[in-house]
Amino acid sequence: MVGAGSGARGAQPLGVERQLWLGGREPRPRWSRRLSAFAAAALLSLGILGLRLAQLQLGEGTQLRQQAASNSLRHLVLPAERGIIYDRHGRPLVQNSPAWHLRVVPADLPRAPAERDGELHLLARLSSTPEQDLRRLLEAARDPFGPVTVRADLTSAQALAVNERLPELPGVSLQRVAVRTYGDPLVLSHVVGYLGRIDEDEYEQLKAEGYQPDESLGKAGVEAGLEPVLRGRDGWVEVEVDARGQVVRSLREVEPLAGSSVYLSIDAGFQDATAQALAAGLAARGLSAGAAVVVDPRSGELLALVSQPGYDVNLFARGISGADYRRLLEDPARPLLNRAISGQYPPGSTFKMITGAAGLETGAISADSVLGCPPYIRYGDWVYHNWASYSLGAMNVTRALAVSCDTFFYVVADQVGDQTLARYARAFGYGTAPQIEIPGAAPGIAPDRDWKLARCGSSNPRSDQCRWNPGDTITMGIGQSFLLTTPLIQAMYVSALANGGQLLQPTLVHEVRGPGGKVLRRAQKTVVGQVPVSPANLATLREGMRQSINPPYHMNYWFQQAGVPADGGGKTGTAQWGGDGQDTPTHAWFLYFAPFDQPEIAIAIFCEDGSLSEVTAAPIAVRIMRYYLDHRTEIRG
Amino acid sequence: MSARPGLWQRLDGLQLLAALMLLALGLMTVYSANVDFGRQLLWVALGLIGFAVAAAFDYRRLRSVATALYCGCLLLLVAVALAGHSALGARRWLSVGGFPLEPSEVSKLLMVAVLAALLSRRRPATSAPGGRRWGLLPWPDFLVAGGLVAVPAALILAQPDLGTAIVFVGVLAGMLFLAGARRLQVAWALAASAVLLPLLPLLLRGYQRRRLQVFLDPSQDPLGAGYNLIQARIAVGSGGLFGQGWLHGVQGQLGFVPERATDFIFAVYAEQFGLLGCLLLLALFGVLILRLAWTVAVAPDGFGALLAAGVAAMFLIQLVENVGMNVGLLPIAGIPLPLVSYGGSAMITDLCALGLAQSVVLRRRSVQHRAPVRPADELVEPSTVRLPV
Repeated sequence: MVGAGSGARGAQPLGVERQLWLGGREPRPRWSRRLSAFAAAALLSLGILGLRLAQLQLGEGTQLRQQAASNSLRHLVLPAERGIIYDRHGRPLVQNSPAWHLRVVPADLPRAPAERDGELHLLARLSSTPEQDLRRLLEAARDPFGPVTVRADLTSAQALAVNERLPELPGVSLQRVAVRTYGDPLVLSHVVGYLGRIDEDEYEQLKAEGYQPDESLGKAGVEAGLEPVLRGRDGWVEVEVDARGQVVRSLREVEPLAGSSVYLSIDAGFQDATAQALAAGLAARGLSAGAAVVVDPRSGELLALVSQPGYDVNLFARGISGADYRRLLEDPARPLLNRAISGQYPPGSTFKMITGAAGLETGAISADSVLGCPPYIRYGDWVYHNWASYSLGAMNVTRALAVSCDTFFYVVADQVGDQTLARYARAFGYGTAPQIEIPGAAPGIAPDRDWKLARCGSSNPRSDQCRWNPGDTITMGIGQSFLLTTPLIQAMYVSALANGGQLLQPTLVHEVRGPGGKVLRRAQKTVVGQVPVSPANLATLREGMRQSINPPYHMNYWFQQAGVPADGGGKTGTAQWGGDGQDTPTHAWFLYFAPFDQPEIAIAIFCEDGSLSEVTAAPIAVRIMRYYLDHRTEIRG
Repeated sequence: MSARPGLWQRLDGLQLLAALMLLALGLMTVYSANVDFGRQLLWVALGLIGFAVAAAFDYRRLRSVATALYCGCLLLLVAVALAGHSALGARRWLSVGGFPLEPSEVSKLLMVAVLAALLSRRRPATSAPGGRRWGLLPWPDFLVAGGLVAVPAALILAQPDLGTAIVFVGVLAGMLFLAGARRLQVAWALAASAVLLPLLPLLLRGYQRRRLQVFLDPSQDPLGAGYNLIQARIAVGSGGLFGQGWLHGVQGQLGFVPERATDFIFAVYAEQFGLLGCLLLLALFGVLILRLAWTVAVAPDGFGALLAAGVAAMFLIQLVENVGMNVGLLPIAGIPLPLVSYGGSAMITDLCALGLAQSVVLRRRSVQHRAPVRPADELVEPSTVRLPV
């Protein structure tokens, strides 16, 4: 109606101060089309913004709220302290030493590229880590909000340097971790074992039990075998962090539960002495590989378990380098092989007690049966030799054991047959891996015709690989043929002879104590089986072992020399393995138990490539006995 | 209503009320963002004084000093380029008596006044844009306006401050439109931007180019350049309908939202006050902008109308760009949310701008004659005046 400027009054617009109030109403605002369009555009923009807000806050609100929470909530694992491994008297064999890991949460690093580069550069310098390594690890991180361990085990100087600069290093943290330090690494390596970084497969399996992707776990020995006991239970804490990754407050927390302590049945001093005796005995003959197992035949508790050569487990504890690991793998002496439980070798003459037991029990011979001991016997076209090239005269089984007459046991084995021999071998523990707490125990072999047929692989059952030959039975009588055993199986076998026929389950664990010191588990004697040998027949066999270490036999010399009473029973074994028939290399065995009447110690000595067992293996056992007798109260205390 | 209303009764109360409520919401949010709250209070107080002074000041005097204003504006921008302080890779601040002054903020208002003076020259003194006697925008004015804006906009872009440069262009566009730009001129302006826009990436610094790329795909670099965008979005979204409550915003309080008191204060606000709070804020801005449009409609002369139009465009473009980047609709260009963000220069400039609009309102014609009055009439016969009931 009234257009703009209709109220124009003149050239001079009035100032406020000069305006007259005349009543009347306000002039109608001039809403031109353009002004209206402008206002409409403004309202439209506001409307679009409002719709977008509704979409974000209502439509995606829940999801974005969760993202906000995951932004600021961090689930931190509080690692449980791993249990300590002690010897039976509480001497620590491993300790948790503090170490520092360098960790970075990628999301908390500065976002400006220049600052980020500066921080990584500084971090690389402080921790003496190549900058490319840092970048590579950070780029490979699966979860940008989770900490990445970019450098394990800083030196204390590096840790201090980083710690000092932490306020300038957002996203960086030092994690205090415990690294295992092993007290006597070479001597205890095969018993205690070591920890290693969890691998992909293990992680997939153990994720449910709360293992972290960068955690360490037992890879060998007691560390591996008693992993669930030693590990304890990790705690966790849920914390709220700010954008710089600094903890603002803890929301919920579950304390970690420390792992239990394991008290081994091993006596550290005795283990050391056993290792020294074995090393000295081997070195005297220019050898390097062997094993010694010392067990209490009454309980099955292992007092010493040594495999040589050992290796430095501390190399593993701090993350072994590729070069070191390759060196260990390629060492011809195979230091990583635990010969005491995993090495399988023919038993040789140490098997003769089993042949004797089979003969006595089946009635093939009696304790008084007298057979000759010719230099060889003939079977068909085949000739089987005794170790002596002359006749040792007529003898009963006791004397046959004492002089280790091969031809005597050829005859017994032939009469008893392979299946019965194998049955007795199994009764004494052959063919079944002993249930020991550390992984890797091998079963050995108690062969018979069925075994040979099953494993031959040829489709023709009449072929030489598949058909059991009479010669297989005859040589089995003196512990050759396809027989295989391990030093641990031998120790349990001689224990059964010593303790009246009980085949015991070997154990390395004396006690398990909770974090508070409460005894959670105590070693208990576990009888695997009773050997089917009458007490009288056992006594006959034991008598043969007793005689073999007493005059007039040469082995008594070692006892006399060491001042150890020859009270007990022993049996040597010189086991042929491989070779071309002319030059036949032999392993040396010696089995021993003492004292004769109420045996409390049983020993199995194995010397790889040891030739004459009387000379190589027997003195080692005597030396171990010397220490045992000198320190009996300490060891048993 | 028998007495003559007091000066302040003639104020646009609604505009002032909306501004005060926005200031209150802004202060609450700045407080929650753990920045220097006391200082912000000081800025608000200084701003309100500026508001009162500007309202009392007769805006028409600006018209005669427009050339000086323009020169001053350029001088400030050149000074900051030569002697400015840098922060976050941009040279934007001058130190004035110990206080940081951001000339690009101040220059926005100066440009509005200069453009208003330019676009209203050679017009009938009391005609208003859109009116019958106003007419269309002459070509020389159109070109000069473009040239006048180009120089300071280029200086600001060189700081670099993409956000303020965008505001300059937006204000120019709005004022040209309301000053009666011809269709052909609009077409020319669009053509010019179509040519210049593809060149923009060449002018932008690396990080600005990166921001644009990341805007197109934030997941490209979630911890680097895309971080701001993602975190702001998360903060806004986690506000939900009712918000997390004042001082209870996780994203804002714990510092995940970057620039949480300035560029991204809206995200911090949205997290705490939710959709309802956001709609309130938008409504208040809506009232504010509509009242500024109303000021254009009641302005007693063309200069006043264009002044108010410039202020309205300035508020609108800042609001849209700021909220737009907070909700991920527009690329990130550092720009404060008027009356809400932390910062002295912007606060004082924005309140002075509102004060100038009030100055226009105060000087509006208050009498409506029933019949056309002869130009010679000094006074109106009381009998012809229709009194308010």
